[in-house]
Amino acid sequence: MDVVTAVFVTPFANMWSNPEFVLEVIIGGLLSGVMYSLVALGFVLIYKASGVFNFAQGTMVLFAALTFVGLIEHGVPIWGAFVIAIAVMVLLAVAIERLVLRPLVNQEQIILFMATIGLAFFLEGFGQLVWGGDVHPLDIGIPKAPLIIGGVLVNEFDLVAATVAGSLVAALALFFQHTAVGRALRAVADDHQAAQSVGIPLRSIWVIVWSVAGVVGLVAGIMWGSRLGVQFSISLVALKALPVLILGGFTSVPGAIVGGLIIGVGEKLAEVFWGPAFGGAIEDWFAYALALVFLLFRPHGLFGERIIERV
Amino acid sequence: MKRIGDPVLTADRIMLTFGGITALNQISLAIRHHEILAMIGPNGAGKTSMLNVINGFYHPQSGSITWKGETRRHMRPYQAAAHGIARTFQNVALFRGMTTLDNIMTGRLLRMRRNFLWQALYFGPAEKEELAHRAYAERIIDFLEIQSIRKTPVGRLPYGLQKRVELGRALAMEPELLLLDEPMAGMNVEEKEDMCRFILDINDEFGTTIALIEHDMGVVMDISDRVIVLDYGRKIADGPPDEVRASPEVIAAYLGEPDQGEVRAPSASQRRLVAM
Repeated sequence: MDVVTAVFVTPFANMWSNPEFVLEVIIGGLLSGVMYSLVALGFVLIYKASGVFNFAQGTMVLFAALTFVGLIEHGVPIWGAFVIAIAVMVLLAVAIERLVLRPLVNQEQIILFMATIGLAFFLEGFGQLVWGGDVHPLDIGIPKAPLIIGGVLVNEFDLVAATVAGSLVAALALFFQHTAVGRALRAVADDHQAAQSVGIPLRSIWVIVWSVAGVVGLVAGIMWGSRLGVQFSISLVALKALPVLILGGFTSVPGAIVGGLIIGVGEKLAEVFWGPAFGGAIEDWFAYALALVFLLFRPHGLFGERIIERV
Repeated sequence: MKRIGDPVLTADRIMLTFGGITALNQISLAIRHHEILAMIGPNGAGKTSMLNVINGFYHPQSGSITWKGETRRHMRPYQAAAHGIARTFQNVALFRGMTTLDNIMTGRLLRMRRNFLWQALYFGPAEKEELAHRAYAERIIDFLEIQSIRKTPVGRLPYGLQKRVELGRALAMEPELLLLDEPMAGMNVEEKEDMCRFILDINDEFGTTIALIEHDMGVVMDISDRVIVLDYGRKIADGPPDEVRASPEVIAAYLGEPDQGEVRAPSASQRRLVAM
């Protein structure tokens, strides 16, 4: 009985008694959720356009961040490093299209997926070979002081990171929905053959998508890197994107955004209010449990395209 | 009276094999400007393979294609599209998640001039251009009488309408040559009549050259200017419908019994087994 009360009554009583604190937790959750969205977005972009679940997305985040921080450590100014890192990610996209996707075109999805696993290990090793395996502290001058806004405590760094991530996400969503290139990308996502028959060159589309995913990874890597230092564990952030994808749907850009926010808020609330009942540290697995529940009821996610088959 | 001109596309001794199976055996054919050409033949005769060679999905082992005076062994599908060859597919290949309008708009992609960056920024000229193409797409929607499903995701449409949207997307490319792979398969009589009317109108009003594959002999004999018959990857007849209908070889190979006067769709199941 005590356990039941501790799990189902006390947390909500605590929430009720201290609404301002709840608000604080929610805002903290939203801000970190945007960062999840950003990582999830990289997955969605590639999944939409090439039907590949890119296992290497997390490593791409790490690789981009390592390149960025490595350049800065070699005395390149921040903006220079940013531009060069973008160029590196675009080159990487070209190389992936040329060396991985093109030879494997028309193969089963699982084979492409395996190829991305290989890619993940390669990138991880290659990145550390070039830039070393240490933790690289990264400071791009975002203030980290806590702020009080309207009586609610907010971390300024989170605010900046969320703004950057949010605008990037919004720009990409608009791009996909309203431009001709976005339409071409969606067309490729739907049907390769038909896309080719209306004159969309598959290869350029793949390069574009992987480049965009690389740049999104770079931004995510910089943000996570400034918070945690650039180190191997950044690539594990990608695992947090999985529940986001399950929630939002693999094919939906808005889904990645909303999914990220839900996961961010959900896990913070759970940690703060439910955590004590479980002895803490539920933040690590709560998102996956939530994703499992979602899989039962909406397997295609909140916004994923429902597969409509005529029988 | 419509004028059929010189060949716009000629295929010269096309040879296409998959492993041990010869899909196309030394096929030579010409598609003439402004004609409606029908390709018929039993299942597995190589009709779809021929379309796939023409628009670049398959690359023949030998032989060449001459399109608008340029000869090549093969081209990529998007190059074929860029050179004015559009097509539809036997098993409807639409972008299922998109609306009818968006599907038709993808047909305009090649006609858009602004480059990637402009499109990404989507302002000024890019927006103006988008609107112009949108107007063209609307014209096609009117032409095909699909106004009411403009905003419907095509995955939800009945089969007959999906076929029509697919035709619309091909038409949006303003092609010089339109390849239709069984445009009337699975349609009822009324839908077939509509489709025939659209094909004849496209040929008439847009001056588009059309090559189509069709199993409905009534339709083929009615709308085509010329008929090519394929059987086991070989071409066994090529000429006006009446002539082809009377050819003894066609009757023997395609229609089964030589004494059967009435033309009918292929049904000999043992042939199909062999073709698999």
